[in-house]
Amino acid sequence: MLAVYKRELRAYFTSSTGFIFMGFFLLLSGFFFALTNVFGASSNYNAVLGSITFIFLIVVPILTMRLMPDDKRQRTDQLLYTSPLSISGIVLGKYFAALTVFLLTLLVTCLYPIIMSFFGDIATWEIVGGYIGFLLLGSAFISIGLFISSLTENQVIAAVITFSALLFVWILDWVTQGLPTDRISGIVFAAILALVAGAFVYYNTRNIYVGVATSLLGAIIIVATYFLADKYFFDGFIVRVFEWFSLLKRYDDFQMGILSLSSIVYYITFSSAFIFLTIRAIEKKRWS
Amino acid sequence: MIKIENLTKRYGQHVAVDNLNFTVNEGEVVGFLGPNGAGKTTTMNIITGYISATEGTVTVDGYDILDNPEEVKKRIGYLPEFPPLYVDMTVKEYLDFVFDIKKANTKNKKQDMERIMELVRITDVQNRLIKNLSKGYRQRVGLAQALVGNPPVLILDEPTVGLDPKQIIEIRNLIKDLGRKHTIILSSHILPEVSAVCERVIIINKGKIVASDTPENLSRRLGESSKLSLRIAANEKQAVKVLRDVPGIKYVEAQGVKEPDTVDVWVEAEKDIDVRRPIFNALSRAGYPILQMKSMDLTLEEIFLQVTTRENGEVS
Repeated sequence: MLAVYKRELRAYFTSSTGFIFMGFFLLLSGFFFALTNVFGASSNYNAVLGSITFIFLIVVPILTMRLMPDDKRQRTDQLLYTSPLSISGIVLGKYFAALTVFLLTLLVTCLYPIIMSFFGDIATWEIVGGYIGFLLLGSAFISIGLFISSLTENQVIAAVITFSALLFVWILDWVTQGLPTDRISGIVFAAILALVAGAFVYYNTRNIYVGVATSLLGAIIIVATYFLADKYFFDGFIVRVFEWFSLLKRYDDFQMGILSLSSIVYYITFSSAFIFLTIRAIEKKRWS
Repeated sequence: MIKIENLTKRYGQHVAVDNLNFTVNEGEVVGFLGPNGAGKTTTMNIITGYISATEGTVTVDGYDILDNPEEVKKRIGYLPEFPPLYVDMTVKEYLDFVFDIKKANTKNKKQDMERIMELVRITDVQNRLIKNLSKGYRQRVGLAQALVGNPPVLILDEPTVGLDPKQIIEIRNLIKDLGRKHTIILSSHILPEVSAVCERVIIINKGKIVASDTPENLSRRLGESSKLSLRIAANEKQAVKVLRDVPGIKYVEAQGVKEPDTVDVWVEAEKDIDVRRPIFNALSRAGYPILQMKSMDLTLEEIFLQVTTRENGEVS
């Protein structure tokens, strides 16, 4: 893993992608820092971190597009997959290399709050919390990009699809505002979730009874919740589900300086899930 | 050393490798021969663990590629058809990386690297970027990569393709040298290469083995009767008439005039009868000098064409 990590990290800076990523990120964050803190004469640095999340849309595809396709193009995947390395080692090495470039860039932006600290008091721990959240958010996006790069052999396609996927994350957040909040649609949505869960179980086990049982269990839980526990549980259920899964919504906590364990676990789980999917996608390709 | 049983690889409907069975003993140099698309590269990719087989097993040194992929991969050095090089690295950095990922012993790493670079003669380019190297040097760096960790088995997929004649000879000699210490499977569609380097040839076509033997045995077994080509200073009728009377000759075929006042004739003799002396005696008695006589043993090329174009051509 370490060898792949070193080689990928090096490749970021022997090709231009590492510099493009850093340059673009620092340009925009510097711009927002100047606008908000310097010209706005505000000491609220977390506002800057909050407003620059959209940069991920553009820079994450740059960072992740070459991770998998590049090996395919140079046929060095043959070297990697015929070496005694495990696929998870290769994928993790690549993921951490991308993460390191991102982390290095974030370290440079730490200069901004340090500059501010010369001229007044800053909320140090809030800013640290904001940075932790920002790093977790970024690592989740990078894992999406890594997964998408493993699906295609073309860097441009990888970049475009990653951009679209990240855009979808943002759009989902906007759409959430307009979703119905009444009880009936909440129950219907819960029923659909139960059906999907049943279908998923059926797809994986190929056993129709287990699938139906899963859906029925879901239905029982819905009915039980409605009649026995809390009548109002399904009011605004859809919005709550979407917000719970939203990567961006969870970042709001960090921005306010709240370090919530469930959010940290969520981000790490999210990244792990996509790294796992990447490993599976590569294995599947070699098996078919 | 390498044992392949019932190996099959399907891509959807297409069968790339069809129920392949063969073994390679320790220290053997085996040539893998076949036209393009015969399944050579696919078989090699499966042995090295790059892709998986649909059915069948591959065992290297007693380890199954599915059960113990790491042990198998440690024992194999693979040079794919296109050498897998990171072109943005120098030769030395690249080999260093290969040492790391192959988990080759780190104690004598430096000497090992020097030795390998010396062996494939890339010491003088070790500090150059791979992207600036010529095709021949890249091929050699690819070979160096396969040698890292001193694996007992080497699998080389068309190692001389795209090289100039001088480089081809160099690489071939190198492979011959390596054959003394390693078990080698080498694929090629260049026949002289295989007969020059390999102790045994496996010819595959459409995913199946059609022949497997030493190059000499193959040409002997397939050359069912001995053919001779003659150039005689006589006219066609006279020459054919004299030759027909020589005992042991199955048939005579005139090939027309290739040189003024001579005729070219092909003669086929009965099996295991040497007709060269009787032919000389008969023709000299008739007063027709022989200007040229050569035996027409089947070359590997002809064998290859014969077995790969024959319908269901099972030879062995």
